[in-house]
Amino acid sequence: FTDVNLNSRNTYEVSRRRSAPEHLPHGGTAPAAPAPPQEPVERARRAGIAGAGSSFAEFFTRNFFTKRTKELKPAVQSAPGWKLFGKVPPRENLPKDSKIIQQEYEARTGRMYKPPPPSARRKNIEFEPLSTTALILEDRPANLPAKSVEEALRHRQEYDEMVAEAKKREIKEAHKRKKIMRERFKQEENIASAMVIWVNEILPNWEGMRATRRVRELWWQGLPPSVRGKVWSLAVGNELNITPELYEIFLSRAKERWKSFSETSSENDIEDAVASVADREASLELIKLDISRTFPSLYIFQKGGPYHDLLHSVLGAYTCYRPDVGYVQGMSFIAAVLILNLEEADAFIAFANLLNKPCQLAFFRVDHSMMLKYFAAFEVFFEENLPKLFLHFKSYSLTPDIYLIDWIFTLYSKSLPLDLACRVWDVFCRDGEEFLFRTGLGILRLYEDILLQMDFIHIAQFLTKLPEDITSEKLFSCIAAIQMQNSNKKWAQVFASLMKDNKEGDKNHSPALKS
Amino acid sequence: MGSAEEDYNFVFKVVLIGESGVGKTNLLSRFTRNEFNHDSRTTIGVEFSTRTILVGDAVVKAQIWDTAGLERYRAITSAYYRGAVGALVVFDITKHQTYDVVDRWLKELYDHAEASIVVMLVGNKTDLAQAREVPMEEAKMFADNNGLLFVETSALDSTNVEQAFETILKEIFHKVQKQKQRNSQSNTVSLANESTESTAPTQTEKRPCCVAL
Repeated sequence: FTDVNLNSRNTYEVSRRRSAPEHLPHGGTAPAAPAPPQEPVERARRAGIAGAGSSFAEFFTRNFFTKRTKELKPAVQSAPGWKLFGKVPPRENLPKDSKIIQQEYEARTGRMYKPPPPSARRKNIEFEPLSTTALILEDRPANLPAKSVEEALRHRQEYDEMVAEAKKREIKEAHKRKKIMRERFKQEENIASAMVIWVNEILPNWEGMRATRRVRELWWQGLPPSVRGKVWSLAVGNELNITPELYEIFLSRAKERWKSFSETSSENDIEDAVASVADREASLELIKLDISRTFPSLYIFQKGGPYHDLLHSVLGAYTCYRPDVGYVQGMSFIAAVLILNLEEADAFIAFANLLNKPCQLAFFRVDHSMMLKYFAAFEVFFEENLPKLFLHFKSYSLTPDIYLIDWIFTLYSKSLPLDLACRVWDVFCRDGEEFLFRTGLGILRLYEDILLQMDFIHIAQFLTKLPEDITSEKLFSCIAAIQMQNSNKKWAQVFASLMKDNKEGDKNHSPALKS
Repeated sequence: MGSAEEDYNFVFKVVLIGESGVGKTNLLSRFTRNEFNHDSRTTIGVEFSTRTILVGDAVVKAQIWDTAGLERYRAITSAYYRGAVGALVVFDITKHQTYDVVDRWLKELYDHAEASIVVMLVGNKTDLAQAREVPMEEAKMFADNNGLLFVETSALDSTNVEQAFETILKEIFHKVQKQKQRNSQSNTVSLANESTESTAPTQTEKRPCCVAL
């Protein structure tokens, strides 16, 4: 599970299927019946299948079509008259038929079909346009009156045009497919070669190379999944000097506490004995509750799933390590992403250090005035980069807290597809908190045109539930276009100056957060 | 029918509040999309949904703000109560603790929302009747004593979900109508001021969530 393209969106179907058990006949033997929670493996497996959903669908349709065309074949040879074929899937074993049919048609019409211009038939395109099979002109049935010459000519012409059009389209699609394949290969090659560079050159000389231009550029392209965890760990650092042994100590403390809670709560109902006890218990309860609600579509962290206990351990140990912060919703997502990329103790170390960064600490402590500062700094760059949208939002008094809270608390892992979120994390590890806000502006830029057409509630709905087809190329090109410069001041300077005029400026931003 | 969706007479902002895990998000998804998720994701901050319904012959668009239930977030989320004309205070009938804190939620609500807000107490998860910890009579009495509407629901099997939202929207509607009659001279009604604000631009994207089911 080092590679996290277990994109949560892919498994959407599964959760939907599970969400509608009441529509199924009870006691039915439908094989697609919801998996009982005791079958995590089965569930995970199914999630995997759903992940490959599109190719499965292809497989089925192909099989279906092969069968159908086979069934139809005899009819082609015997019965005269009009024949309409269904859309024939590309790359099926039909070129022979289509050629015969084309020849027949050519023989009958006495014309040769003009092949498309050679430029379109460049080199070795691995397919044969099959559009000619779509419609076959044959003798009209005897019971219909003959067409006039004019009409026949017109129909022939229309037919030729249709065929030419279809061919053009097919060639275009084939090119597109090839291009996508080429890009995918290139991407894989890039990842492979990048991995070699990371492993052989950069990681052994981390301190010396991490800030070089070459490394930074390579970093922006996205970290290869196999070194991702390692680079994150190094970049986040270990200011807190946590060792794996220390983690074990806090973990065993957490386990003791869980045990004592399950005992006391069953023995005597301590009503309002100690408020903090209830709070802590609530915190543990909350962790339990949230774990099953963390990337639910992956079926990895849910009860019985392979990483359920791990996530529980990391979060539990953290509440013992930092009782001053405790467990706050949103943490489970961060811990989960780390667990997907790192070993248990390393995940904990990275987690604790990450949450110790000023921005994360401000948010997870729900330090209002600090959060307002971050929102205010964000708005400075928002206005600078996207003035039109900024005014549009202002006109609806739509404040950044409405969408930023979710984005910042979970470091985008809840709102973006997981693979894309990991790429955001990559650069976040390189650039720090500034990049979180830059990503937010990148998202706004990407959807600026749509957002400008929306009113308050639609914007709010849109931004708290982003489209699922968001791609990393598009998002990162939008992020790259965001300038984190405000009249020569960088993020850190803007933020620092906002911190300075703490007292006066307090009331001018994010009215929604003033209470 | 996009045009029907955007063609409304009133917009009512309704907030969903209550402890974490009582089923707020599922109540909302059941009402707006007829969906239920056993493992829906934790709500962080606030999420939104809308649905348009008919009250009498008026088209009412419910703009529902689904807030995070975590205690720590309350300071943030309470800011979102402003301008709300209705609130559903949700608890889980199988967890007494979520009912015990309803008082605190109400206090938060009245501190930040307008006094005229219509509040409904919702006991969710009636499908888990065998694990019930909060007797219905007790909750009903509490609601009566505090001037709250009351209903028990199950987002899982859909029991009363539609009714819950419809009841509160109707109640808000009647309240608005009464207020309108009272100060027929003034053109805006404090309860409905949201609508004038939100109806202004008609160029809005059509979203599937509001299409009649």
